[in-house]
Amino acid sequence: MPQAASRDVRFLDPAVIARLGTMELKARTVVEGFLAGLHRSPFKGFSVEFAEYRPYLPGDDLSTLDWKVYARSDRHYVKKFEEETNLECHVLLDVSASMAYRGGAPMSKLEYGSVLAASLAFLMNRQRDATGLVAFDERIAFRLPARARPGHLHALLLALEQLKPGTRSDVGRPLHQLAEALLKRSLVVLISDLLDDPEPAIKGLRHLKFRGSDVVVFQLLDPYELTFPFRGASRFRDVESSDEVTADPASVRAAYLRELAGLTRRYDRELRGAGIDYVQIDTSQPLDFALLSYLSARARRK
Amino acid sequence: MNFLYPAFLLGGLAIAIPIVLHFMRRDIAPAVPFTAVRLLQRSPVTRSKRRRLRDLLLLAARVVALLLLAGAFARPYMAAANPGAALRIVAVDRSYSMNAPGRFAQAIALATRAIDEAGGGERVAVVAFDDHADTISPPGTATAARAALQGITPGFGATRYAEVCAKAAEIAAGDEARLIVITDLQRGGWDGDDRAALPAGISLEVRDPGFSSSNLSVVSVTPTPERVIAALRNTGAQSRTGRIRVEQDGRIVQTAPYRVGPNSSVDIPIAYHAPETGSIAVSVDDSEGLPADNTRYAVLGVTRPQTVLFVRSGSNGGYFAGRALAAIGASAERIAVRAIAAPAMPQEDLSHTSAIVLLSTRALDQRARDAIAGFVRAGGGLFIASSPEVESAVLSAIFGWKSLTTGTIEMPASVALSPIDSRHPVFRPFGPLAANLGQVRFARAWRVSSEGWDVVARFTDGNAAFLERREGRGRVVLFTSDLDRQWNDFPLHSAFVPFVIESVRYVSGPQDHGRDYVVGAAPAGAGARPGVYRAGSENRLIAVNVDPREGVTTPMGRDEFTARVERVDTTRGSSADARSLHLESRQSYWRYGLLLMLAALVAESFVGRT
Repeated sequence: MPQAASRDVRFLDPAVIARLGTMELKARTVVEGFLAGLHRSPFKGFSVEFAEYRPYLPGDDLSTLDWKVYARSDRHYVKKFEEETNLECHVLLDVSASMAYRGGAPMSKLEYGSVLAASLAFLMNRQRDATGLVAFDERIAFRLPARARPGHLHALLLALEQLKPGTRSDVGRPLHQLAEALLKRSLVVLISDLLDDPEPAIKGLRHLKFRGSDVVVFQLLDPYELTFPFRGASRFRDVESSDEVTADPASVRAAYLRELAGLTRRYDRELRGAGIDYVQIDTSQPLDFALLSYLSARARRK
Repeated sequence: MNFLYPAFLLGGLAIAIPIVLHFMRRDIAPAVPFTAVRLLQRSPVTRSKRRRLRDLLLLAARVVALLLLAGAFARPYMAAANPGAALRIVAVDRSYSMNAPGRFAQAIALATRAIDEAGGGERVAVVAFDDHADTISPPGTATAARAALQGITPGFGATRYAEVCAKAAEIAAGDEARLIVITDLQRGGWDGDDRAALPAGISLEVRDPGFSSSNLSVVSVTPTPERVIAALRNTGAQSRTGRIRVEQDGRIVQTAPYRVGPNSSVDIPIAYHAPETGSIAVSVDDSEGLPADNTRYAVLGVTRPQTVLFVRSGSNGGYFAGRALAAIGASAERIAVRAIAAPAMPQEDLSHTSAIVLLSTRALDQRARDAIAGFVRAGGGLFIASSPEVESAVLSAIFGWKSLTTGTIEMPASVALSPIDSRHPVFRPFGPLAANLGQVRFARAWRVSSEGWDVVARFTDGNAAFLERREGRGRVVLFTSDLDRQWNDFPLHSAFVPFVIESVRYVSGPQDHGRDYVVGAAPAGAGARPGVYRAGSENRLIAVNVDPREGVTTPMGRDEFTARVERVDTTRGSSADARSLHLESRQSYWRYGLLLMLAALVAESFVGRT
């Protein structure tokens, strides 16, 4: 088992995933590897329809203990439930030019975000949730409405595979558009690097939350963006605006990291304050953390 | 701002290096695509500005350091810092000729007026001079200068104008100045055809307090066994008559009438049998002239002539030198010569010998060597003339000198003898005869290591020719060629006689048997006034008198006086260089430049590390 587990976890590694062929294969690999590791985790199920009893095992969620059975038989049993199928999930993927950046990671942020979106869609499909996709830069570039019917996943994965980097990003605008368009409470997953002005993004996300949706935000950052490991005086040219800053990394690194930490703190403070899950992800790290974050949010949605 | 070595300023072009590097470093920064430039821009904006400022500061510090280094090497000085004509030097003649009735008071009045004429901010210095010049008041306020004038009184010295010119140049120290000499323009203030040098930056003005043409003076006193002969000089236009007095121990012992015609001198014999010891004073009355030269002092007693011992190898040697000394004749300054062979040296009584002329060291045994060494160290003089007869190793052994010679040198015909200092007592009396030294042909000489010796004259090929040194209380002179016409033809030239005489006199000098001195040249212990004193370790009597030349009151015109002063042009050539050098040396701005450069480098280091 340990060998199998390690092999499964290996398939969550971006370096491995990057070498896989189609988006469907990538998503399947990620999700199955993730679920294989999940056997040892407390996430066992999130449906509301009763399926069966089984004896309590250490690590089981105490909330699933059936206290009435315990009172009658003096034994611990936990209840197993069938999955629910009426959840509508929308994955919002930032495809602006900055998402195409790849510094020290095996995949660009867009590739990583696409695999993450595909994995989430695959996972949602397994749980029979209706899944939709919105790709945007400064405007909505592509939109696939949420559906739960068979074949929809294939279309979504195909769309993800064909995504190309756009131009400048404007997270706030598509968020507002989506918030206005959603007719029922949904789970909205935003995948973006969130490196532009945080104010419109936060407002858009609050708008979504205000309309009754649960929101999970994945901020994808390349290791180079997280650590700024450059050496020697350089002219840093913005991939979206082409603005240039000439600087000696050694002398500006601390200030840059301070700015980044401030941005992260602001997102964390503002979004958590609004009941929005905010997860910052290093694109050189495996995707299981992102998927776990999603499952936590979905569990709260129930 | 001027520079002593402006070529070093080209080193300032080195500032191009940091500037080029500064711009190159900026241009070679590679473009790096990045996403979070907004974050880089926002906070680092100030950092970048600070960095740009830092870079500029670094660049400035490096450029300044290089410029200061180049500037320091160029040795800057401020010509403008030169006080210019803001220095006034008032020189007052205090020689005894200024003590004529009313003359010195007039001189002080002229000096006061010269000080009063000083403009606002002009510094004033006061110098008093006779045969030497003293700074009575250094450059300062007119008030201090006026106060200093009150301390000047006429003395008994003779006028020497060269002294005041030298002192003025020293006070001005390269600056421009105005020298006002208040003097009676006495012709005797110049030695012969001597001239004085004065920097061109010092303007010269002479103010004459007036002079009295009439002066009667006693210019010499010669006691003989039968009488006393006094020489009187009358510089007036009228004949002077009166009685001349001989005083001994403060009382008049004899008088005699005199008559001196206008502008003439006369010897007055006075019938006085002077005792063999003691002193006398001979005086005349002169109410119109200078009081200081009305009396002259003389020490009594028979003067023993100097005796010089020639040490030679046999009966030969020293012929030419002996003949030269015999040329002095039978005067009081005569020098008696005795010649002995070297082996006879130990038996010789040296008590009445003032100097030994060593012409040979052959057969000079140890006792003879010890006798010579003891004689010299006791105060005797030794004149060594190189020759084939003299072995330098023996000389070195006598006095414990290090190796004296490194052999002999053959000389081409073009080599001549050239004194280094024509004012040396041996060469000073030569006067025009000094040129004759250049005609002597030297064929051979010792090559001498001059360590421990003072070189007085050299051959024109650079080898030492005439050297001297002290040995105990005595003096040793060494002539590196010979006196017997073996290595040169010196004895055939007229300069040979004064050379030998003055050398022997000079080497005999340490015994200092002189008893007549002029004020200012008297030995230690004698007063600054004319009179009879006891001086020296032998406590002998000496007579100190005023310089009789000062009593010649014939003045010279201001133009003639000014013509005697050579103006050293400080605006061109080496003189200008010397003046610049002096200014730069005094200001030493390069030190501040280097300190500032050090500060710039410290700042560069500090900015570079932040």
